[in-house]
This record gives sequence, structure tokens and C-alpha cells, in this order.
Amino acid sequence: MSGATLKSSPLAVQRGILGAVLLVLCWEGLARGLHLPSYVLPAVSEILTGIWSKRALLGEAAGYTLLEALLGYGSGCLIGIGLAVVITMLPALRGVILPAATAINSVPVVGYSPLILLWFGIGVASKMVMVAMAVSFTVFLSTLAGLDRVDRRAVDLMRSFGAGRLSILWRLRLPTALPLLLAGMRVSTVRSVIVAIITEMLGAYGGLGWVIYQAVLQIDFVQVWSAIFVASAASLTFFGLIGLLERKILFWK
Amino acid sequence: MSAGSTASSVEKSQAAGSRRTALLGSLQKTARLLLGLVVVALVWEGAVRLLGIRPSYLPRLSVILMSMAATPRAYVDGFLRTLAETLIGFVTGGAFGVLTGIVFFRVRALREMIFPIFVVSQTIPVIAFGALVVLWFGNTLLAKAVIAFYLTFFPVTVNTLLGLETVDPRQVALMRSFGASNHQLLLRLQLPTALPQIFVALRLASSLSLVGAIVGEWFGDTTGLGVLLLQAMFTENVVAIWGALLAAALLGTGFYAVVATAERRLVFWGAEQ
Repeated sequence: MSGATLKSSPLAVQRGILGAVLLVLCWEGLARGLHLPSYVLPAVSEILTGIWSKRALLGEAAGYTLLEALLGYGSGCLIGIGLAVVITMLPALRGVILPAATAINSVPVVGYSPLILLWFGIGVASKMVMVAMAVSFTVFLSTLAGLDRVDRRAVDLMRSFGAGRLSILWRLRLPTALPLLLAGMRVSTVRSVIVAIITEMLGAYGGLGWVIYQAVLQIDFVQVWSAIFVASAASLTFFGLIGLLERKILFWK
Repeated sequence: MSAGSTASSVEKSQAAGSRRTALLGSLQKTARLLLGLVVVALVWEGAVRLLGIRPSYLPRLSVILMSMAATPRAYVDGFLRTLAETLIGFVTGGAFGVLTGIVFFRVRALREMIFPIFVVSQTIPVIAFGALVVLWFGNTLLAKAVIAFYLTFFPVTVNTLLGLETVDPRQVALMRSFGASNHQLLLRLQLPTALPQIFVALRLASSLSLVGAIVGEWFGDTTGLGVLLLQAMFTENVVAIWGALLAAALLGTGFYAVVATAERRLVFWGAEQ
């Protein structure tokens, strides 16, 4: 039992697959056996055929949502990392930026969506801003924690060899911060897709959130579930890609 | 006897002194917090006036506060309703999270079967789920609490599991050698060791449960801060949006502060905070 990590052994993978299969079987059995109407719980097979028959619509919507999520995610990461670096380089700003960021974040991000929709319209821009807000705070905090984690003595050593602030940042602080920074980025992936979808449901021209909202209005719950499945798959892919990137960059781990 | 009484009175006065300094310290902290709030309010008010920001973007703070004061009923009702949903979701989600964490720790096979499903469940956009939950449970307080619960439990499960795994096996062996039962082991050693980790998740969960409550209210409720936000958006009333946002911020920070205080009381040995 001790030393057990979340690392997957072959047995763990088998059990994981077994769990998924059991879930699908229970779901299918429940929905079919009890003849549950599709607005309560459609069967998995029904949902999968629903996805296949609406594949053009869902694919386009997923592309739209992923575009918004990626744009927002990219800018959010840049803002978060940039702010953290600025604070480390200019410690005087820490007392201003940190409380301001915490104050802005004291309202749950989704609470801002009505305001952002009014400000930026219901196009791609408003989703981008929402995702960037959601992502930047997490990335900012984790980058800052990483940059602060650096060994005081290593800084002193580099300084004694005449290294400037910039080279200490580039050669020492950023590499030290990288594991935490990337972990923050990985955690934010799923959030970025979810926030994009939430904002789309309040107003959009397209995307998975819009599809879900339309389907709810038309009481087409197979389509709701289809969109949910696609969204979940898109999030997992995004999460997996960033995780892969993380392992590539942190080759020493 | 007189020596004893002096010693005890010295002790008493020392205790009173330390209590007084603690009180002073907390007073100082409150004063600094209030000062910070006043500064923010002044900057906000001044910036809007001086820079001539259009009220459709950022209304003056005084205007927002006045409009809140004009219709306090809606805000108070919304605040209490959302608070109730948040609390129910937080408590049930926290309890469920700790429980599943313990079960996954004890039964490895279950963990390997169910944990991946938990992970996937967290990629489902909660708002889509919201439509279904409202359908299943009706448009009741319970439905919103379920959504808050759904967002809350996962981080608690993960951190409980992580915390339980940091327990030193030698300590377990020692307690076993004294004949400790599984139950005692859990209550006296494993849970206390995991407690700091669990509280990290609970602090995170406090804000997530508020998100769940607010988003849950977007599916056609009549009271709540989420409802106020949505109504204000439909009428393009920026002042009302900011009013609801301020109320949500008050609720969020207040709840977070309560959880953080509980943490400091219960995890008094924790050096992290």
C-alpha cells in the first residue's frame, strides 16, 4: 500500500478499463431495462449514434469552442506568467498586484460572464477574455510559487559570479519554476474549455455551449448528452496534449 | 500559599497580556483591511470621475452602493439563498470527498476502477450538467446544491487520498504493535496527518461550491445572486451586475475566511500558513 502513487501499472489500467466498461454497462442496462425516457437518461448507445448522426454539427461546434478556449488559454498563460515575472523582477509591485489579483478573483470567474458579454459582445472575444481570466490567475499563482521557491544560496552564488537580474531569472528562476508553472497550465486546460462553454450558453453565435443551450430549449436531451460527450473528449485531449508537452519539457523528472 | 497565589496571578496577568496583544494584532489586521478597502473605493470612485469612464463600462462605486441600498431586499434574499445552496453543497461535497478518499485509500482495486471515472466526470461542463440536474431534481434548492456538490467533492477526494498516503509506515507499525485497531489508526494517526492537505482542498472547494450555486441558479430560478446577475444582463443594467458581483465577492471572501479560520484552529501545528 505504501509508496502507491497515481502512476498506472498494467493492472491499474486493466482495472480502470473494467471500471469504465462496468459504468457503461450499468448505464445502458438502467436506461434500457427501466425504459427511461431520454429526457431522464438516454442509453449510451443512443448517445453515440446521436453523435455520429450529428457529427458535422458537433464537429464544427467543437472546433469553434476549442478555438475560443485555445486563444483564451494562450493569452491567459502569457498574462499569468508575465505578471509573476514582473512581480519577481520588481518586488515593489508585489504589494499592489497581489491584492488586486486576489480581489478580482474573490468573485467566482463565471460571475463576470454577464458583464464581459455586455462589454465584448457575444462573439469570440468575450469567450477569450473569460477563459483568459480563468486561466491567468491559476497560472499566475503557480508561477509565482515556483519563482519564489528558488534557493537563496544559488541566487547569491550566481550574483557573486556577476550575473544580472535577467540572467538569474532566465537561467535559475524560470527553470526552477517550470515544474509548478507547467502543473498550473495543465490544471487550467479543463477549466478553459468549461469556461468557454459556460460563456457560450449565455450568448454566442456557435460552439458546444450554444448547441447545448439550443438542445435544452428544444428538449432534445440526446443532443445535450452528445454535446457533453464531445466536450468531455475535447477537454481530455487538450489535457493530454499539455501533459505530454509537460513530460517533454521536464525531461529531467 | 501566598507564593502560589502570586505565581498564579502572574500567570493570569501574562495570559491576559498575551490575549491583549493577540486582540491588538487582530484589531490591527482588521484596521489594515478596512484601510485597504477604503483606498480601493477611493481609487475606483476617483478613477471613474477623473478618467470619465462611461457608466456602461464601470459605474461609480457610490452609484452601485446606492442602488443596492435602494433595493436591499433582493440582495439580502439572494445572498441568503445562494449561501444556503453553497453551504449544503460544500458540506455534502466535503464529507463525500473525505469518505471516498478514505475508501480509495483502503481498497486499491476500487480506486483503480472508480478514480478514472471521477477524473473524466470533472471534464463535463458543469453548466450542461446543470440543465440535467434541474430536470432530475426539479427547480429546487436541492438541485443547485447538487451542482455545488458536484464541483466540490473531487479536489477533496484527491487531497484526502494524497494526505493519507503521506503517513509514515513506521508510525503505523508502531501503533499496530500497541494493538491499535483500523478505526483507531484512522482517527488518531491517518486523518490528522492528512488534515493539512484536506484543508487545502476545502479552501479551494469553498470557492468552487459558490460557482456551482451561482451557475445552478441560471436555470430559471427566482431568487439568488446568480438570478440577479442574469436578470441584470438581460436588461443590460451594468449597475445591477456590479451590485450582484459585489454581493458574490462578499459571500465568497467571507466563506473563504471562515474555512481558513477553521483551518488555523484545527491544524494548529501546520507551519504552512
